[in-house]
Amino acid sequence: MLKVIRSVLAAFFGVQSEANRQQDFQSTSPWKFIVVGVFMTLVFVFLVGFVAWLAAN
Amino acid sequence: MGRILYAYLYAASICLIVLSTTAQASSINTSSGFNMPPGVTEISREVYSLHMTILWICVAIAVVVFGVMFYSLIVYRKSKGAKPAHFHENTTVEIIWTAVPLVILVLMAVPATATLKKMYDTSDAELDVLVTGYQWRWRYEYLEEDVSFFSNLATPREQIYEAEEKGDFYLVEVDEPMVVPTGVKVRLLLTANDVIHSWWVPDLAVKKDAIPGFINETWFKVDEPGIYRGQCAELCGRDHAFMPIEVKAVSPDEYQLWLASRREAAEAEVAGADREWSLDELMERGAGTYNTYCAACHQPQGQGLPPMFPALAGVGMSVDPDGLRAHKEIVLYGKTGTAMPAFGSTLSAAELAAVITYERNAWGNDTGDLIQPSAIRAMLESQ
Repeated sequence: MLKVIRSVLAAFFGVQSEANRQQDFQSTSPWKFIVVGVFMTLVFVFLVGFVAWLAAN
Repeated sequence: MGRILYAYLYAASICLIVLSTTAQASSINTSSGFNMPPGVTEISREVYSLHMTILWICVAIAVVVFGVMFYSLIVYRKSKGAKPAHFHENTTVEIIWTAVPLVILVLMAVPATATLKKMYDTSDAELDVLVTGYQWRWRYEYLEEDVSFFSNLATPREQIYEAEEKGDFYLVEVDEPMVVPTGVKVRLLLTANDVIHSWWVPDLAVKKDAIPGFINETWFKVDEPGIYRGQCAELCGRDHAFMPIEVKAVSPDEYQLWLASRREAAEAEVAGADREWSLDELMERGAGTYNTYCAACHQPQGQGLPPMFPALAGVGMSVDPDGLRAHKEIVLYGKTGTAMPAFGSTLSAAELAAVITYERNAWGNDTGDLIQPSAIRAMLESQ
């Protein structure tokens, strides 16, 4: 699970090492990446909103 | 190797010196410079310094990036026996070239956001002016002062059609400037009557869209008296280039005098509808009104631009003795589905009567009809 989160974070940043990519593509189903990706996107949106809320108050 | 590096650094520093002197020269002479003007408000000066800071950051990045690029191109060229490296990726380098721009962008965003916050803070304004964009003029309504007027292009058509020498303020001069007191925070409420316009005065660092059905807010505070010019910045039709903005900042005392003179002029305009006008008077007034409000579409000699803008000279209701009623109605109420606006709500009774009289008697349209301002007022009041 931590590996999936790491891969999603690397995708957010836009840089992924070749070794990690090989490992990720061993997995037969893309679903865990998609689910974690959507979830992490929501977390990111919430974080940005929270920072904006902090700045506004 | 060393020689090339020195040559590059030498060339880069010469470029920087030339660039910085250009920037200085243009900050002295804003009208002919290549750079944006520093302007006359606290906000405009902040915008200018942001612009310069970001420009120099870009210049520094360009010097580094192109420096590395040209250095590599020259020093490691094939004829010198350089061998290409064969590797697929380097995660560390990729992380660095992603993180460095991110840091630079955030560093630029921090001061930019601080200035943007100030620009959007329209609270505590001492003067509210409703600015409405029309095709093709601006209307200024001083909300607490009961003063309202249109601001039209003042450049003569002869200059536009190159029959005369162009003046110093060609296309950036108006008949009635927007007058504001110095040292006062002025809030603008921007909207439009027909299509989207944009109120843009570079010296005030204000550029804001005026959109029909919406009200946008912005503000400025001028410290020094002066005349600051601008233009409509949103393509709005045929005469988009002919609806300039002129803001005249004067001392608060002068501003009060100006307000009084505007009120007096408005009262005189209303009183004008009480008396009988002669044909000559109406024709003279009508010619002025026609050139300001009608000639853009129907053309100075009434020949129009068919089929979009019908001719008025020699054809149609303006020359038809039975067309008087239809003529009055189309001028007062406009024509739905065409570019013809309703002038009943924008012009005074005297102006309306004069312009209709003019259209019915100029350019050989000798109907002899004489329309009195009182008749137009009666028509407007019956609505």
